[in-house]
Amino acid sequence: MTLTPQPLGDHTGHAGVCGTDQEGCITCGDVALALTVKRVDVERMLALCVNEEGNTESVEIALVGDVTEGDELLVHAGTAIAHLGTGVPA
Amino acid sequence: MKFVDEFRDPALGRVLAGEILNEVDPNRHYKLMEVCGGHTHSIYKYGIDDLLPSNVELVHGPGCPVCVMPMGRIDDGIAIAADNPEVILTCFGDMMRIPGSTQSFLEAKAEGADIRMVYSPLDALRIAKSNPDRIVVFFAIGFETTAPSTALTLKRAKAEGVPNFLCVCNHVTIVPPLRALLDSPDLRLDGFIGPGHVSTVVGVRPFEFIPAEYGKPLVTAGFEPLDVLQTIRMILSQLRKGEAKVENQYKRVVPYEGNPAALKVMAEVFELRPHFEWRGLGFISQSALKLSEAYADFDAELRYEVPGVRVADPKACQCGEVLKGVIKPWECKVFGTACTPEHAIGTCMVSPEGACAAYYNYGRYAREKTPVVNV
Repeated sequence: MTLTPQPLGDHTGHAGVCGTDQEGCITCGDVALALTVKRVDVERMLALCVNEEGNTESVEIALVGDVTEGDELLVHAGTAIAHLGTGVPA
Repeated sequence: MKFVDEFRDPALGRVLAGEILNEVDPNRHYKLMEVCGGHTHSIYKYGIDDLLPSNVELVHGPGCPVCVMPMGRIDDGIAIAADNPEVILTCFGDMMRIPGSTQSFLEAKAEGADIRMVYSPLDALRIAKSNPDRIVVFFAIGFETTAPSTALTLKRAKAEGVPNFLCVCNHVTIVPPLRALLDSPDLRLDGFIGPGHVSTVVGVRPFEFIPAEYGKPLVTAGFEPLDVLQTIRMILSQLRKGEAKVENQYKRVVPYEGNPAALKVMAEVFELRPHFEWRGLGFISQSALKLSEAYADFDAELRYEVPGVRVADPKACQCGEVLKGVIKPWECKVFGTACTPEHAIGTCMVSPEGACAAYYNYGRYAREKTPVVNV
């Protein structure tokens, strides 16, 4: 067993929150967030999304069809599970 | 805020509370189960139960992903991390505090095991790519909401040829436990507040057996307070008319057919386990997923030896009864005394989506409801 101190997590730069405090982990809680698409990388099937506070995260978009800048996605565990609507680019 | 403010309007809430009062028969007791932990959380956060007539009882269901995880699986994860120095075990945040038979992931980490918290399976894959000399094991949990994310990440790991990424698959499915609850003689339910985000993936169709075979209504619901109130009104309206059908209140998110792309990737990466142990509900057949033959190289359970022992819950803990809706959280002997969110004995007190934590965090200790009067 290693005795080297290791980081608690690797969850920086996410629009979502995953913690061990009483606010809890939104992924464990089956919570999904509505995020707005800022940029799309079609080749890697990833989109840079932003929440209302301006926090960004990379989101897997393979499950929601065509995505363009300004669209709103329902995101859970870093994956878009539903396309909520087409918006205007921010 | 879009999708939020309009679903928290107090004036509309009062209107819905009045409509609910008009739907109920004062001589009848109604027992409705909210399947999702997210609904339990909303109900107590916004005090929705206080807006309901005293003869409408809400019962909390098994839809909190970490709450249903048996102790034996936690022990298996700890064994993989503690006995194999090359392993970095990754898991979601609430899993860190779920008690195993002797310790939690967080306690095992304090003793030196390399266990790290991640927000998504993609984060775990990223850790694997940046630590090519280590084996990164992702301890996957969750219902059909989370399973597509794990499946896509495994597909990505396979396509990109990441050999040091493995998965312990603990994903569970929602329909088998609902059937088990409906078959249970312990509980007589009148209807269901159906899961919201799970239904985004599986759709509404899988729940049609509930009215067809058991004669109970189910309404798929959103998570904002007005969503929950409207859903309760829809269920009570069906009961008043003597109907039983599946309805979809969460239409802005849930399509009738779900997400076909998500279902396809899950079918490719996973297959059903013959049976799986659920905390409080025991073994339920075909209620969980494991990696399919095509993804066997990524299966940590095939690579590492795990105890695989069934561990009984602590005697004082009554999470099983809470998960089945047989008792209320405050009826458990250790609720709020020996068992608190800081020092949880049972899983239902760990996750904020757990019924015990929801009661505890929002101060719901009242044994009796105050009758609601229509004004």
